[in-house]
Amino acid sequence: MAYEAVRVKTPLILKILPVASILLFFGAWEFTVDTGIVPSTMLAAPSSVLKLFIAKLTQPNPDGAVLSTHAWTSIKEAGIGYLLSLLIGLPLGLLMGWFTTIRGLFRPIFEMIRPIPPVAWIPLCIFWFGIGLWGKVFIIWIGAIVPCVINAWVGVSMTNPTLIQMARTYGATDRQIFTKLCIPSALPMVFGALQIALAYAWTNLVAAELLAADSGLGFLITMGRRLGLPEMVVLGMVTVGFIGAVIGVVIDVVEKRLLAGIRR
Amino acid sequence: MSVSTLADEIRRPVEERAPITLLRILRNEYFLYAVSLVLFLYIWDWVAKAHILGKSLATPHQVVTELARLMTVKLAGKNLVGHIWDSTRRVLVGFTIASVIAVPLGLLMALNRYVNAIVKPVFDIFKPMPPIAWISIAILWFGIQEGSKVFIIVIGTFVPCLLNSYNGARLIDPELYDVVRVLGGHRRHEIVQVCFPAAFPAIFAGLQVSLSVGWTCVLAAELVSSQSGLGWIIIQGMRLTKPELVIGGMAIIALVAWTTSLLVTGLEKLICPWKRQIEGL
Repeated sequence: MAYEAVRVKTPLILKILPVASILLFFGAWEFTVDTGIVPSTMLAAPSSVLKLFIAKLTQPNPDGAVLSTHAWTSIKEAGIGYLLSLLIGLPLGLLMGWFTTIRGLFRPIFEMIRPIPPVAWIPLCIFWFGIGLWGKVFIIWIGAIVPCVINAWVGVSMTNPTLIQMARTYGATDRQIFTKLCIPSALPMVFGALQIALAYAWTNLVAAELLAADSGLGFLITMGRRLGLPEMVVLGMVTVGFIGAVIGVVIDVVEKRLLAGIRR
Repeated sequence: MSVSTLADEIRRPVEERAPITLLRILRNEYFLYAVSLVLFLYIWDWVAKAHILGKSLATPHQVVTELARLMTVKLAGKNLVGHIWDSTRRVLVGFTIASVIAVPLGLLMALNRYVNAIVKPVFDIFKPMPPIAWISIAILWFGIQEGSKVFIIVIGTFVPCLLNSYNGARLIDPELYDVVRVLGGHRRHEIVQVCFPAAFPAIFAGLQVSLSVGWTCVLAAELVSSQSGLGWIIIQGMRLTKPELVIGGMAIIALVAWTTSLLVTGLEKLICPWKRQIEGL
């Protein structure tokens, strides 16, 4: 890699611009709301969002719970749905990649369910599970299982055929080929699935909570709209975004640790 | 050898023209597909008739009749085709607006580091926010009319469009640029002859993802507030406790979303035939 030796010095302006851009963004936001260009019933200034954030840490009013309770409800729902989808989706995907029969039996059903946006399941979930925890878990599960199955399956079926033939030459049984060869070579794809599934889980969670919930971050956003408090809406959005970003970073770090030797 | 596995499929070219036996038919993938579909419909029918999930599951037959009825009977002034068109129009308008802005912006960010330094930080703030979280603020801003739905679709489809065109153009093999430079090309040649063609497959992948996100967004927006569209049909089915309407709506959405993604794939093959095909996806 001849390129790595050449070190290009970053001009100062490139270091300033990102900071300036963010400051300008928040400044413009604060300015448009404070001067009334955008009425405060439609958008909350960053300062009032911050104020509400501090207040919501301790105060359950007006939506019935403090921020950490809402966040915990959401994380719990997303977590259960996510883990269930991994527990069922990954083995199913791996087996679909390996056994012709299992692939033949599950693929049509899977292809039918795949194009339905998870959001569309919400009404059926309310019929079946009510608006409690399990309805939301089901929606998250059905959304997150799709990338799990696809990636595990594609990961196994993309195993290098030469390696399989080599393993057989050395007398490996089918079982050994699957566990020692196909599963490890599917791992990078599986980890890709973990990331995608998590992003899906978090998106669908918000959708589920917008429609039917009595606590959680999506509920906070909806309540903000119903009460005409834009700062609450923005606070909910920011919290959702923030937690999503944190989870993304955590998965990234874990992936780098576990796949240190495998990636490319 | 009792079960057939991936290892056998790799072995298969050697043992061509094996005699047709019952076992081979049972292992045939298409035969299994048929079995799977029949079993699925049968179990669905049985679960619905036995009221295992209460009365809130319709049989496949009920769903089909309901859909056939909707083709002629008008619901809120429109038949089924009208509602499908309403949702599709929203998706297409939002998708077009987003891709027209996001794709060039992504390319620009990849090509020019000053643009990148300005846009990237702000974009990174918005990136992790699920588009559906914008619904409330969209309703505050645009009311419950078309505007708010299109806005959410634009927000949702913007992110994958921009990310893919940005990464597609950024991760191009630097040696390709070197070739152009060695052959005496200008910056313009680098962009037109290397950057665009090489980023196209990634851009199309982004458009594909965008479309599916767009469908999710339009549904979510219609579920929260609307007077027409497929999401409205589903929510109407929920209000009237008619599971056949809900499931019918879901089936139609699946069908339409699948068709649109097929169209994009077709378009991709037409526009950039140089994309390397990955088998089995």
